[in-house]
Amino acid sequence: MAKYITKRILMSILTLFLIIFVLFVLIRIMPGNPFPVERMSAEMILQKRAELGLDNPILVQFADYMSILLSGSFGNGTSLYNGAPIKPILLTCLENSFKIGVLAIFFGTAAGLFIGITAALHRGKFLDGFCTVLSILGVCIPSYVFMIFLQYFFSYKIPFFPYFFDPSQFIFSSIMPSLSLSLLSVSVIARFTRNEMVEVMNSDYVKLAESKGIYGFQLMRTHVLRNALIPVVTVIAPLVVDLLTGAMVIEKIYGINGVGKLMVDAIAGEGIDYNYVLALGIVFSALYIGAMLILDILYGIIDPRIRLAAKEN
Amino acid sequence: MKKILVLIFFTLMLLTTACGSDSSDDKLKVMLGSNIVSLDTAQATDVASFEMISNCIDGLMQLDSNGKPIPAIAESFDVSEDGKTYTFHLRDAKWTNGDDVTAEDFVFAWRRHCQKAEEYAYIFGSTVACVKNADDVIKGADPSILGVSAPDSKTLIVELDAPVPFFPSLMSFPTFYPINEKFYSALENGTYGTSPETFLANGAFSLSSYVPGAANIQLKKNDSYWNAAKVSVNDLQYQVVSSSDNALTAFKNGSLNVVEISGNQVEHVKQNAELSQNLQIVPTGLLQYISFNQDPKNNHAGALANANLRLAISNAIDRESLVDNYVMDGSQATYTAIPRHFAPNVKTGKYFAEDQKQFADYVSFNVDKAREYLDKAKKELGKDNFQFYVIYANDGGDTVVKVVQAIKSQVEENLPGVTLNLQPMPKAEYLDRLTKNSYDIAVTNWTPDYDDPMTFLTLWTTEGCVIAEHWSNADYDRIIADCTTGALAADYDARWNAMYNAEKILLENAVIAPLYTGSNAMLISNNVSGIDFHSAGVNRVFKSAAVK
Amino acid sequence: MKTYTPQQGDFDFISGRDINVDLNFASQGYWKGVAIHFIRNRFAMTGLLLVGVIVLFAVFAPIVSSYSYQDIISVTDTNGKQIVAKSLAPQLAGEGQGLFADKTFIFGTDDMGRDLWTRTWQGARVSLIIAFVAIFIDMLIGMSYGLFSGFFGGLIDNVMQRFIEIIGSIPTLVIISILAIFMDKGIGLVIASLLITEWIGMSKIARAECLKLKEREYVLASRTLGAGKLHIIFKQILPNTIGPVITQVMFSIPVAIFTEAFLSFVGVGIVLPQCSIGSLIESGFNNITILPYQILPPILVLAILMLGFNLIGDGFREALSPKLEDM
Repeated sequence: MAKYITKRILMSILTLFLIIFVLFVLIRIMPGNPFPVERMSAEMILQKRAELGLDNPILVQFADYMSILLSGSFGNGTSLYNGAPIKPILLTCLENSFKIGVLAIFFGTAAGLFIGITAALHRGKFLDGFCTVLSILGVCIPSYVFMIFLQYFFSYKIPFFPYFFDPSQFIFSSIMPSLSLSLLSVSVIARFTRNEMVEVMNSDYVKLAESKGIYGFQLMRTHVLRNALIPVVTVIAPLVVDLLTGAMVIEKIYGINGVGKLMVDAIAGEGIDYNYVLALGIVFSALYIGAMLILDILYGIIDPRIRLAAKEN
Repeated sequence: MKKILVLIFFTLMLLTTACGSDSSDDKLKVMLGSNIVSLDTAQATDVASFEMISNCIDGLMQLDSNGKPIPAIAESFDVSEDGKTYTFHLRDAKWTNGDDVTAEDFVFAWRRHCQKAEEYAYIFGSTVACVKNADDVIKGADPSILGVSAPDSKTLIVELDAPVPFFPSLMSFPTFYPINEKFYSALENGTYGTSPETFLANGAFSLSSYVPGAANIQLKKNDSYWNAAKVSVNDLQYQVVSSSDNALTAFKNGSLNVVEISGNQVEHVKQNAELSQNLQIVPTGLLQYISFNQDPKNNHAGALANANLRLAISNAIDRESLVDNYVMDGSQATYTAIPRHFAPNVKTGKYFAEDQKQFADYVSFNVDKAREYLDKAKKELGKDNFQFYVIYANDGGDTVVKVVQAIKSQVEENLPGVTLNLQPMPKAEYLDRLTKNSYDIAVTNWTPDYDDPMTFLTLWTTEGCVIAEHWSNADYDRIIADCTTGALAADYDARWNAMYNAEKILLENAVIAPLYTGSNAMLISNNVSGIDFHSAGVNRVFKSAAVK
Repeated sequence: MKTYTPQQGDFDFISGRDINVDLNFASQGYWKGVAIHFIRNRFAMTGLLLVGVIVLFAVFAPIVSSYSYQDIISVTDTNGKQIVAKSLAPQLAGEGQGLFADKTFIFGTDDMGRDLWTRTWQGARVSLIIAFVAIFIDMLIGMSYGLFSGFFGGLIDNVMQRFIEIIGSIPTLVIISILAIFMDKGIGLVIASLLITEWIGMSKIARAECLKLKEREYVLASRTLGAGKLHIIFKQILPNTIGPVITQVMFSIPVAIFTEAFLSFVGVGIVLPQCSIGSLIESGFNNITILPYQILPPILVLAILMLGFNLIGDGFREALSPKLEDM
């Protein structure tokens, strides 16, 4: 296993390098200048491009960028925030999105598992139907519409939560955005848990276990949950990445200085800030690859029958 | 599981309700329509940044509530006979770190801007301020040749290439504000203006809480401001709100004192007796217009090189219906190339575009005339069907989206054979298409940087800015050159009339089709007064605002 | 020994005779069984009905409606001013007020003065297309990619998974902006961008299932008996992955619909005045507290559609999977 994990980590680093290269090239193909141009003459634009080294061969630019990256920095912005160093700004935004994301994962997983397990235990009865409808509603309503509802009822009609995000009351003002963010994950996790559990509970080995006299909690723990959780873990992993990488619309509505908004500002502002898009892209990919790595390792732990490295010998 | 959740929920509530905020009376909470891009005067390009900078930094001059330039850091100024040399005498003012505001601070800031050559460096150059040698410095010459000098710490001398009639009012624009050199040089490269610690104020307010991208920005009164006695707001808080609906609820809720709303919300407010008292419609200098790409080489737009086709489209648009039914925020239909509430004549006090009927022959809503033009165009081009791509930026909220759809519907209905395909896109891509001339028709707008028609008219010269329409007219270029650096620059009335002539050339050729003059619909709490609104440059000034 | 030559009459067709056929436990084909179980499932049929109704409305309502989805309904008053029927609450002919009292707007009108009834169903068309494309992409690309990757394992799996990581890491906005260089904006562009990223989630599920199943005894047995790899993947493993796969498909439908809405929001999705359920929700959202009726119809249609798809999905899952007890 240790050998497999080392190998897997090395592969991931190589993949990350490839991703940085692909992103680097793609971003330079994107339509749009990396700085605002509305009042510039054609001459000024050329001068500015030369200054930023954008007319060098792409490999030279990439080498320059990699040397900046390897020195532990993300470089400076090209159009956003005075061209200031990206790292501290990125870290602030990441921190905000992470905290809300973690809260959303907590709400999502807890509520999702709860609803899913409840439905599975009462399959075919009223509670099952109720949970199904609940989880379907969750996917029909976009999280930002839900956010507006929450804001309207719990900040405006009943002024309990602050109307806008207030960094000085972090947890308190994160409740509404993380609840709305968790909406989709509640549904997905609930549905997967319920369906997987029903399937596992109908399988022969569970019936055998039941006939041997194993019931209730012990049956769930030893036989059902373990097997039902594999697909659930598979859907949770990308959801976690999604939640951590911010939700642009919710961040905008509630005034959260997060990475989702930063990404859209960097891409759809007056200019495309190449370095911000790259920095965000790299962080997102690292998260994604990390999640996939953990996922693969988790498979082995949850279900010993799965042997990823089996084919190699 | 459920019980645990409920328990956690309630503990969180107990923890957090304890630290509720108390509201002081002289606190003003203002909505900001978009994020601040930069607090560095050389890099700021947007309304929000300019507003924030002008709250914190004073320039040589400022505008009074009527838009007239009055002294700020400069106590007084002298103009030479030929109008080409300005000598500003500075007052005793201090930066928040205790340093004096000196003439060198201006010299440093101006040289730096020209050297950095960011978007707004153009304003030093020969189309606007005409500061001596500015164009050369922007292109990379030694910044010390720039026509600005400080013989002593309280005197600033500015040399111009040509007399600029609006130069004093231009000095209220943030790009001309000073930067404390000592403070700036001590900072790490690029960090200036990224936090309260790296930003120095000399104006009415100072920064107390800000990080780049922050949705909540807090300013507090600067007690060392030279005019601090006139500033009555102690706390100025900004909240970035992107949705007009959200802004309306936040205002009703009391979370914000000053908000900006758009069409549908304005209609809603008007029907509500109580709220409508808070509604204040402030005309801005924004001109929404259609730009026709006239490059004959362009695939579709080749046809748009035909003036009759352009006139047909321009006359097929019902501008009154656009503003009444879709914009609805008090914007006014406009039939001139210069917006309506903008650039008053210094002598008569009349707005430049006061007379909206003067070009009625070329710009109006007249379906019969539009069809006549179309028939002529069809004959001249030997084509019966025209298809154009209309590009527009998608960042301006839903107003532009509605206007563009209404234009499509009107033009297609009134001009048989003309089809418009709408192409929304992000702002960066949109600007790129404009610079690369790869569009047919663009629905665009321009906000004036200074209070003179020239901020618009220079857009359409051959050498003009990026939205060039690919149109070139020698007479037009000559008039503009005369008015900026040439013979007419010193003669106010002759220059004024010449600009009308330029506008006439522009509109009889239908280089653009003006649509409407923008306006801000604001909701302002009853207890708030004294906010100044300007149509050019910095739009809102809170220096003399008061909360009762 | 004399050889016997068979003659006519030696054997007889028994069709004419009355023999005892087991009617209660008649043997039947696999797919016939699936169909019967599906039809007998009340929930599944309800789902089919719901989706069917939406499809019917989406197909016929815009045709039957007296307005086109892009018509701006207006009248010119006595002063020659154009009055547009914008932001009218739902009304029936004769019930309304003012200049448009004689017109019926079942869902009201939007803030451009267009009939929301027509637009909702027109939007449902676009969203249904996107939903079916999403199902197609998921089932075809996502599932086979995941199954192959999981089944072959080792180097192939490694390369395939790294490829997914690269594709999945590029922000959607970057992908679609680049695609927009080569394509016109509109539904084609949206589908192209879905083709690039939409199937990743499904391939993960399929791979996880495949990893779980390929070590099972029955697969081993098949392999020992000499079954081909494709046979094992498609005949042995695929039918057993159907549960999670269908659940995942159900979720990729709204995700695809909202991806399209998000793209429209940023300015790279559907091109107005065309509309989709997503873009209608998006524009209703701008006025949600003052004109709430504008956002309700698209959300309701989406909810019914989702409920329908989910019920159908559950029905399929149960009908296809012989393990479930209600069979």
